[in-house]
Amino acid sequence: MTMTPEKPKVITASPPAKTARQRRISMGWAAFAVPGILWLVFLFIVPMYTIFAVAGGHLNPIFNSPVPVWNPFAWSGANYVAVYHDFVGPTSFIGPILGRTVVYVVIASILSLLIAYPAAYFVARFAGKRKGLFLALMIAPFWISYMMRMLAWIDLLQTNGYINKALVNLHVISAPVNWLGGKSVTVVLGLVYGYIPYLILVLYAGLDRIDQRLIEAGRDLGLSRTQTFVTITLRLSRPAIITGMLITFLPMIGDYFTNQMLSGNVATSMIGNVIDAQLLTTSLQSEGAVLSLFLLVILLVPILYYVWQSRHSEDSVM
Amino acid sequence: MASHPRQRFPEGSNPFSRRTFLTAAGLAGAGLGLAACGNGATSGASSTQSIPLPRVNNPVTWPLSSSNPAIANGRSPESGATLKLYCWVAYVNQKVLNNFAKKYNCQVQVSTFNNTAEAMSKLSSGQMDYDVFFPTIDLIGPLTESELIRPLNHSYIPNISQAWNAFTNPFYDQEWRYSTPYTIFTTGIGWRKDLVNENPYDMANGWAMPWNAKYKGRVGILDDYREAAALGMLKNHLYDLNTTDLGQMATSTNSLIELNSLVSTQIDNNDYVNIPSGQAWIHEAWSGDMASSWQYLPKGQSIDTIGYWFPPNGKGPINNDLMVNLKAGQNPVLAHLLINDLLDLNNAIENMSYTGYMQPINGMTPSRLIAEGIIPPNLTSTVVRESDFNNGVRELALDPQVDAQYQQNWLRVSGGI
Repeated sequence: MTMTPEKPKVITASPPAKTARQRRISMGWAAFAVPGILWLVFLFIVPMYTIFAVAGGHLNPIFNSPVPVWNPFAWSGANYVAVYHDFVGPTSFIGPILGRTVVYVVIASILSLLIAYPAAYFVARFAGKRKGLFLALMIAPFWISYMMRMLAWIDLLQTNGYINKALVNLHVISAPVNWLGGKSVTVVLGLVYGYIPYLILVLYAGLDRIDQRLIEAGRDLGLSRTQTFVTITLRLSRPAIITGMLITFLPMIGDYFTNQMLSGNVATSMIGNVIDAQLLTTSLQSEGAVLSLFLLVILLVPILYYVWQSRHSEDSVM
Repeated sequence: MASHPRQRFPEGSNPFSRRTFLTAAGLAGAGLGLAACGNGATSGASSTQSIPLPRVNNPVTWPLSSSNPAIANGRSPESGATLKLYCWVAYVNQKVLNNFAKKYNCQVQVSTFNNTAEAMSKLSSGQMDYDVFFPTIDLIGPLTESELIRPLNHSYIPNISQAWNAFTNPFYDQEWRYSTPYTIFTTGIGWRKDLVNENPYDMANGWAMPWNAKYKGRVGILDDYREAAALGMLKNHLYDLNTTDLGQMATSTNSLIELNSLVSTQIDNNDYVNIPSGQAWIHEAWSGDMASSWQYLPKGQSIDTIGYWFPPNGKGPINNDLMVNLKAGQNPVLAHLLINDLLDLNNAIENMSYTGYMQPINGMTPSRLIAEGIIPPNLTSTVVRESDFNNGVRELALDPQVDAQYQQNWLRVSGGI
């Protein structure tokens, strides 16, 4: 009797077939993504495509208003060329404005960090039971609209306003300063004031999550207070710093309102003002769309850095 | 595809050639399907297919269309209706509107716009059913050509006979077919007499007053591309404010850029507040704004500290706004009656006490306005006289390409502020 060897069983890796109930459940979970997808489609993808359509479109010759071209193969490059000439050539004017914007935003971001970090550090480490109170005080400016706060600053900073009166009475200045007459310092401080609450909140969230035992371990192992702060607290709070800076940097660079309210002066014009003016001028709206896309490309740099940094942090943790 | 209006033009070439003009007009007809386009507005000179550009020496009679007739005579006002106005902020005295609503047993609803671009964008969508709109005269062409406004039936507007002679048959709308005048104003220089040594009335060219480095940070110009361009031109003794000459446009632009570097120019329309508060010491200003500026003086400050200069020879910008009846409006009779009401002298004075802007109506004289306490004697120069229309220069409608060039020049000057 010969025995024929049994054929080895082939074990396939195919997952077991889902039951109808399981399919319903997974579709139910997938349905949770629908609002997000709709949001993304109608409030990001459609508007973004519209910007491209306007940027590649032409003007209505009667109303001088932009006519979007929806077919991408029919897009015109005329508006891109016009914006290029705004940067380069005898009638260019945007270059210095863009440079000024970057300088203002970098200075305002650094100032914001220097002010926000100690405040957030204090609340996270030393506020104890009063953390809630301090946090409430920090977000108090959010309770009043941004425009109202800027209007209040206009009153305070006027030639005959309280700030000039106080400074003159304290003999800090001999005569009232025209703070609203196109001073860079006013605009930069306005940006700091406007966006610093966002930074404080993010920094607080990051600092509050740092495990106190790591700091104690550092001290136990002989590090000085400064060394502990630099090697442990500052290093562990780096993701919060980067996130916070990104959250303030992005709106600051496109800000036009602060400048308009606190200066209204050509000497402090920022790129957001140029885009705003173009979008409010019918014949220039298409170029405004191009410049918006240009700004988007610039802003992709810090966003990509943030993504890279986040991934790097995750890898180092792994 | 039509050439882009913002294409850059080589020096010395004529960017606004008949060819590009016709191409644009062709696109208007083909792409937009505006039936009225090019159907024969009787113009003194314009022979192109584009919208005629009214000028004092080239008056325009806008065409009537069977698809857009005026309302018939003798109709009763719509009862219990809501009359919808579309205008600038703080443009009509609410008291006048309340009286009108009471008189005709209706409600009056006011919607506002921030600039004419925004207004035209909304109106051209065809979705708005406003009844009365208050455009500038450069918009009358696009409004009629696209049939957004309805021809007026003068039998409902007897007060139109009260308008100054200069407006009995205006060049921008012959026979008053579609519009009646509303406010009138000049553009000049407002200044603080107590803070500025110079007096523009003593200067050879008062328009050059802002170009003074001594007042750095205290000089403002109006946030309006045509008004700013006009200042730059008048400073250089150029009086055609509708010029298509690129050289003249560049002269104006360069003067304004020079002004920026000299005085760090403030750009805003707050002349009526900034001069009394001392935020600005010299400001390009509208007469209507300066007429009401004394109401914003800080407590204890003399009214005599404010001055308004308009060239005594009348050679300065003078303009007016209009009232029109929108075709999409549901209450054409009430719309006509409101226009008539706003042309009544007493209502016009009531309006001016609120807006500061006067209307070209018989009886609205400097002595009357001073006697009514609407303007102080030292601001009599803010009053527009009928004779000013003979000497003044106007900022009128431009070909879209030229207009786009003015806009671009302004962006270079203002940096978007």
